[in-house]
Amino acid sequence: MSLTKEQMIKLYRNLIRAHEYDTTMYRRMMSGRLIGFYHPGEGAMAPGVAAHTIMRDGDYTFPHHRAHGMAAMVSREMDIKRYLAEHTGKQGGCCEGRSSFHGSFPEKGLFMYSGYIGAQFSPAVGWGWAAKRNGRSQISFCGAGDGGFGQGRAHEAMLMSQNWKLPVIFWCENNGLAIYGDAAEMHPTEDISSLAQGYGMPAMVIDGQDLFACAEAAVAAFEHAREGKGPVFVELKTCRYHEHDIGTPDLRGDVQRSEEEIAELRDRDPVLLATKRVLDEGILSQDEIDQIKAQAKQEVEDNWNWADAQPIAQPTEEELMAAVFAP
Amino acid sequence: MREITLINAVKEAYIEEMERDESVFMVGQDLRGGIFNHTKGLYEQFGDRIVDTPISESGMYGTAFGAAQTGEYRPIVDFMFAGFSMVTFSEVSVTTGQQYFLHGGKTPMPIVITAAMGTGGRLANDHAMSVMGAYLRQPGIKVAFASCPADAKGLMKAAIRENNPVFIPFHMGLQSEVGPVPDGDHVVPLGVADVKREGSDVTVLASGMQTKFSLMAAEKLKGEFSVEVVDPRTLDPFDMPLLLKSLEKTNRLVIVDEDWENSGFASTISARVVEEGFDLLDAPIRRVCFPNMPIPGGYMEPYIMPNADKIEAAIRDVCA
Repeated sequence: MSLTKEQMIKLYRNLIRAHEYDTTMYRRMMSGRLIGFYHPGEGAMAPGVAAHTIMRDGDYTFPHHRAHGMAAMVSREMDIKRYLAEHTGKQGGCCEGRSSFHGSFPEKGLFMYSGYIGAQFSPAVGWGWAAKRNGRSQISFCGAGDGGFGQGRAHEAMLMSQNWKLPVIFWCENNGLAIYGDAAEMHPTEDISSLAQGYGMPAMVIDGQDLFACAEAAVAAFEHAREGKGPVFVELKTCRYHEHDIGTPDLRGDVQRSEEEIAELRDRDPVLLATKRVLDEGILSQDEIDQIKAQAKQEVEDNWNWADAQPIAQPTEEELMAAVFAP
Repeated sequence: MREITLINAVKEAYIEEMERDESVFMVGQDLRGGIFNHTKGLYEQFGDRIVDTPISESGMYGTAFGAAQTGEYRPIVDFMFAGFSMVTFSEVSVTTGQQYFLHGGKTPMPIVITAAMGTGGRLANDHAMSVMGAYLRQPGIKVAFASCPADAKGLMKAAIRENNPVFIPFHMGLQSEVGPVPDGDHVVPLGVADVKREGSDVTVLASGMQTKFSLMAAEKLKGEFSVEVVDPRTLDPFDMPLLLKSLEKTNRLVIVDEDWENSGFASTISARVVEEGFDLLDAPIRRVCFPNMPIPGGYMEPYIMPNADKIEAAIRDVCA
């Protein structure tokens, strides 16, 4: 179950790329150059990168909304410049500029987004049902945060997935906060994955700051599902360094999160930890790491240049009315 | 022409469409045993394409919705009673209607939502409510409703072949209604209304059981008023040209809807007729709907709900 050197390099590269996209989104939102809102992912990107790097073409996915699923888009090689265009209301956006912030790349198994936390639990059952029936060893990846598991539909999805032994991965990125809601107040147990026991579902609790531990968990969980053994609950303990979404105060309950708390969390920054690991184990040299970072910056800059060059999407009312239904 | 019950006409549609297209499957609760006649025996023929779930409406609907999103399946979701679909309202209404449009028109959603629906059986609100308004309200969903076996079969076939979400319940009280159904691949296209009875004094627009009640009222009033009964068959997209053509002849309109009066089908069509056919009207439009109260049970349903007597009164009113 240990990762190959190749896998580790790919994972590392994807983390750096995802981090770079997140940084530019953050900057743009702060300077009023982004539509809608943005939920910054700094400190929280390892789980999404890990899962989606390990995933295969053909797998269905709904990534957690931290960093708007860009960890997934980057790692599944989706045409991310079209997401940048979408988020800036441009023609060529992945949703034709109609959604403000929905990511959709159906050719890569990412079908939808939603403003409703936990909306994904419902169709995740259907993706799992289809995957099982298709017989092509696909998985249905259902990403969510600690908050999303408050939804009743999460229960239904877990119940039905386990009943039918569907290849659904319940991937809980637990950062301990749902906007201001402290997970300690909102969940009766410390581990949200303790829910899985109630369904006879296997579960793991993973250090969500450790990119490679997340990836190993993904390997194990996905294999279990692909072999027809049923769903798996993977809980990643993670955190976020910024507020829930840019512009909203960074509170826990009604108390501002302290600088000390954030500083301590930054000690275990996933990029920091992953860089140390690849250097210590001789997976990558410092030169190679610098190159990866430079390439990531260039990739992100090129894609933003493309998105910025697109005209704003402003179809007529008639054109929009004609787009409500498929032919 | 052979005559069969409405519920068996729907069953024929299911069998023919599932034989025709392997990607069609059905998900609901107690389908294998069959609460209503139209799913009895389907499991024997179609096996694991008939899927029973726990009482988990959002997961049940999600099975269909997610499968449809993958582009490889055409699901039929059966809620048993239409009112139960309200348990998963955000899924059936909001998420369903917006999927195709908001996500760039790349994921057509060929999903059929069905159930028994209808007032008059003394089952009270949750089992009896007409939820037409809820589905009509949300853009991105088509809505159809049959008043006779031939239309029940034809509309269901059209709905299954449609590449968009269609809400198409069947009326509880019409299950055993017997009527002629053509042989062969009988499809009634969505968006086409039908004149069920020709007349010249007044147009009564009515669907489901209310079409039957309107025909009863029309027959009773024969000799006194010549009543044209128009069955929308599809409530959205609605066949306005056919209605306007009828009004060119009659100049008077009564709209009957078993749904609540508030913000329902009757209100929308009234407003549109005023906008698009004002000059055709010789009298104000009358709507006959369920009053804005939860549906009472007991022995109250039959006289509170729209019925032949209320339709007759409305006809007299606009013809006065």
